[in-house]
Amino acid sequence: MHGEFYSYTLTASKAVLILLSFAILIRCLRSMLREKYDPEVWAYLRYGRERYPVEHWEVIIGRAKDADICIPEREIAWTHAVLRRSDDGQWRVNDVFGRGGVWVNNLFVDDDGADVSDGDTLNLNGIYVKFQDLSMEKRGRIESKRAGVGRKYSPALTLLMLTVFQLFLLLQHAFSASPDHLADIALGFCSLIVMEWSCFNAMRIINRTGFEIETLAFYLSSLGMSVAASSTPEDLYKQILLTLAGLALFLLFGWWQRSLQRTARARIPIALAALALLGINVVASDVVLGARNWLEFWGFSFQPSELVKVAYVYVGAATLDRLFRRNNLYVFIGFSAVCVMALALIGDFGTALVFFVCFLVISFMRSGSIATVMLAVTGAGLAGFLAVSARPYIAQRFASWGHVWEDIYDKGFQQTRAMSAAAAGGLFGKGAGNGWLHGIFAANTDLVFGMVCEEQGLLTAICMVAAVILLACFAVRSARSGRSAYYAIAACAAMSILLTQVALNVFGSMDILPFTGVTFPFVSRGGSSLLSCWMMMAFLKSADNRREASFAVRPGEKIRSLGDIEALRARRAQEKNREEAS
Amino acid sequence: MKKLNRRAFSVLLLALFIAIGMLTYVQRFLESGENWASYFSRLNSLSEGTITDRNGILLAAFTANDNRFNEDRTTRIANYHVTGDFWDRTGTGMLTNFSRQLHSYSPITGMTQTKRIEMTLNVDAVIDNKAYAALAGRKGAVGVVNYRTGELLCMVSSPAIDPTEPEPKVLDGVYINRLISAAFVPGSIFKLITAAAAIETLTTIWQRTFFCEGEAEVAGVKIVCPFEHYTQDFPGALANSCNIAFSQIAIMVGQTEMINHVRAYGFLDPHDLDGIPTAAGTYPLDFVGDPETGWSGIGQSTDLICPFSMLRYVAAIANDGVLVEPTMVRDGEPPRETLLVNPDTAKTMQRLMRNNVVTVYGDNRFPGLTVCGKTGTAEVGDGTSHAWFTGFLQDEEHPYAFIVFVENGGGGLSVATPIANTVLQTAVRRGTDMEY
Repeated sequence: MHGEFYSYTLTASKAVLILLSFAILIRCLRSMLREKYDPEVWAYLRYGRERYPVEHWEVIIGRAKDADICIPEREIAWTHAVLRRSDDGQWRVNDVFGRGGVWVNNLFVDDDGADVSDGDTLNLNGIYVKFQDLSMEKRGRIESKRAGVGRKYSPALTLLMLTVFQLFLLLQHAFSASPDHLADIALGFCSLIVMEWSCFNAMRIINRTGFEIETLAFYLSSLGMSVAASSTPEDLYKQILLTLAGLALFLLFGWWQRSLQRTARARIPIALAALALLGINVVASDVVLGARNWLEFWGFSFQPSELVKVAYVYVGAATLDRLFRRNNLYVFIGFSAVCVMALALIGDFGTALVFFVCFLVISFMRSGSIATVMLAVTGAGLAGFLAVSARPYIAQRFASWGHVWEDIYDKGFQQTRAMSAAAAGGLFGKGAGNGWLHGIFAANTDLVFGMVCEEQGLLTAICMVAAVILLACFAVRSARSGRSAYYAIAACAAMSILLTQVALNVFGSMDILPFTGVTFPFVSRGGSSLLSCWMMMAFLKSADNRREASFAVRPGEKIRSLGDIEALRARRAQEKNREEAS
Repeated sequence: MKKLNRRAFSVLLLALFIAIGMLTYVQRFLESGENWASYFSRLNSLSEGTITDRNGILLAAFTANDNRFNEDRTTRIANYHVTGDFWDRTGTGMLTNFSRQLHSYSPITGMTQTKRIEMTLNVDAVIDNKAYAALAGRKGAVGVVNYRTGELLCMVSSPAIDPTEPEPKVLDGVYINRLISAAFVPGSIFKLITAAAAIETLTTIWQRTFFCEGEAEVAGVKIVCPFEHYTQDFPGALANSCNIAFSQIAIMVGQTEMINHVRAYGFLDPHDLDGIPTAAGTYPLDFVGDPETGWSGIGQSTDLICPFSMLRYVAAIANDGVLVEPTMVRDGEPPRETLLVNPDTAKTMQRLMRNNVVTVYGDNRFPGLTVCGKTGTAEVGDGTSHAWFTGFLQDEEHPYAFIVFVENGGGGLSVATPIANTVLQTAVRRGTDMEY
């Protein structure tokens, strides 16, 4: 085992893994953040000589600089009206505060709003603006001029790099794993490769070119597979099945969100389902392993709070017109309070904190009010103080925070071992399967950062964190061009959840924050966590508005030839027929 | 949507937080990664190595998936404080303190093992076994060093446990190495220091006689001797271990000079035994006046001495003042030598300590050996006393200095000297005939 061939191969594979990690990340970063990003154009507003393009499905008209359509006339309020488009192409205008008043073709617009069609005149408190909807052909021409994705940085090449990365991980395991488990481990990595290429080819077939989000998710999943192969090679098949299930949910959920109306309609049922799930969790499950609560199904441990995270984002996000109605936010605040209280009852304070940060992001994005956020933080601080003083074991956690080396056999048991193993890995790691941390309780979940540091080295562990940050940056960038505020808020909220998990997982196990026992997205072993992470990616996918990038976004029409026009007309006729039939 | 775009940057605050946290982590990793790594990773690494005694008896071995100790339970227990265990429960074992020799660390490569390490110790496991048996379960320590070469032949602390037992019955202070990691009330063995100080500072000491009726007031404090020693000269006073005489001598030397000597002989500092820091002792350093100076001159007051410091001191006396620093590892490095005691003083002390055995303790306690020594019976205030015996062999074939300490054991002469005899007899026979 300790032959020269082994040691050379191991050293070479470490170098290759780290180079590939960097290459994959940099290619994704450039493709996601550096490439040109032309907005879509859906309609125009004409005021005097000016022509304002309507670049989203939801736009704010007002005098303020940060209004999407800024008409600098004194008659118009800072934020005057919201213009939005439904899935079927019908536009509708709403008066935001009822201050200035909005008339469409001289008919007063009440709280419900009014439909707007091509050629209609909007009267914004005496300022007359003409609405000009774009014909399919015209929009198609604009659409085909937009920059596409994947020209400069071929997603296939990035995915090929990831495949090599996975094969080298497998090679390292081949050296270290026991012969009994070698077949399972090989199956694990190969099924990842099959899944990612099938997914990629499916996207190719439906003409979608953006694959960075999936690539990064599969990159993290590979590290997760490696962790599982080192720690629990005997039930690796679960990891394979769960990744498959996660991928399926990702595709389904992404497809579901293509229709904004459908998405919005399901919010209330999903909120109720989430509350029911939490209710079952509070009532039904026993306290196992301290604060952790699990439900067991057919050998799969299941954490309801993971699915509730997805529901929380789903319920929390809102379309632009609803943003300005206070009572909507109150409903959301109530929902949040119930969720966090349920988690507190369960005793899962790490997840409660994750929810709370997500709540802050959503409420800030919805209200834009720092005061609201400060109020929430103060309230939570008070509640946290009460929780700490009421429950001694939480106070203990805080007491050992920063002093874990003083109590290495009890309170600091897990953290000190994680830190020791992480440091022992150095920059390049000991190679997959060569660590010892996997023998410690929760090594492959709460201490997973230590495990990756030990086996793959600090550089790869940093790449792992950077991958999540990169996804978050992409969510923020997508917020600029998203069709609806719903998608923008959902993507940002989803990423705020994943970022908070990263922070709590990494810094908790390394004694920079109190140890709360939260999973690292995709990498930590845990079925429900894996599923929820893939669903979070669906939120991100539906905010990706680059031309023909995402399967979760209905494509705009594009016209490059006369044939395209014919095809478009045929499609429209078909849709009309279908509508009439129904 | 523009509004949202700006608000979306709040998410990046979290990313910023993570970035700062990661920088903090990397900084801590560079700063103390070595400490973290060597704490557990050493015990869990793929390294291989063996620790054997001077005659090749296996004390501990570790391979990728197996940690082993000597097969004999008695040997494991007797050498517990030499080896330590794989749980790091005693801070002073070889396994704990030689991680740097066993492994190398850098932040870039992490914890690696450069080569298979086979470490040979100067310790003789058989002597350790005899010494541990002689202590017979009492709390105490035995140390033997070759004063010419510095080889530490015997290091035993009692009670000890079997290092393979994960959860032994917790015994009081079982993880403390009493030879090197603690300091105790020295009692009369401290008179070896007072005597050396007197030789160097009092020119009239050889002319003086001391009278003892078993009880006297020295500087207004009642000092008691177990017997009436009547009239005695300076060597006689040391041999009789006369408290009355030595408290007077300490007062004559004066507190300042006493402190100078205690410090110069290394009793107040921790020493380095192959990287293991030993315990420092104490002596009244603030001005205390004559009564307390008298008390401290006979090893009472606030005096505390680490047995290892006393072993160094007597080894230096035996080697004509030159201390060959004791070492446990046979690593081929030249011995560290320092002049600890003035050579003339050392030679005088040799004569005095030989005189102790010849005139008072009796050579018949140590058949066939030429022992120079000093006993001690240190009262600890609870009615019990620590038994001490320290000294060396005047024997070029077997140049061994030793210390025997039994905590709350009773009288030095009755309790400690038989242990010393057993250990020394074994050591001498081991030294001449390996087959023993």
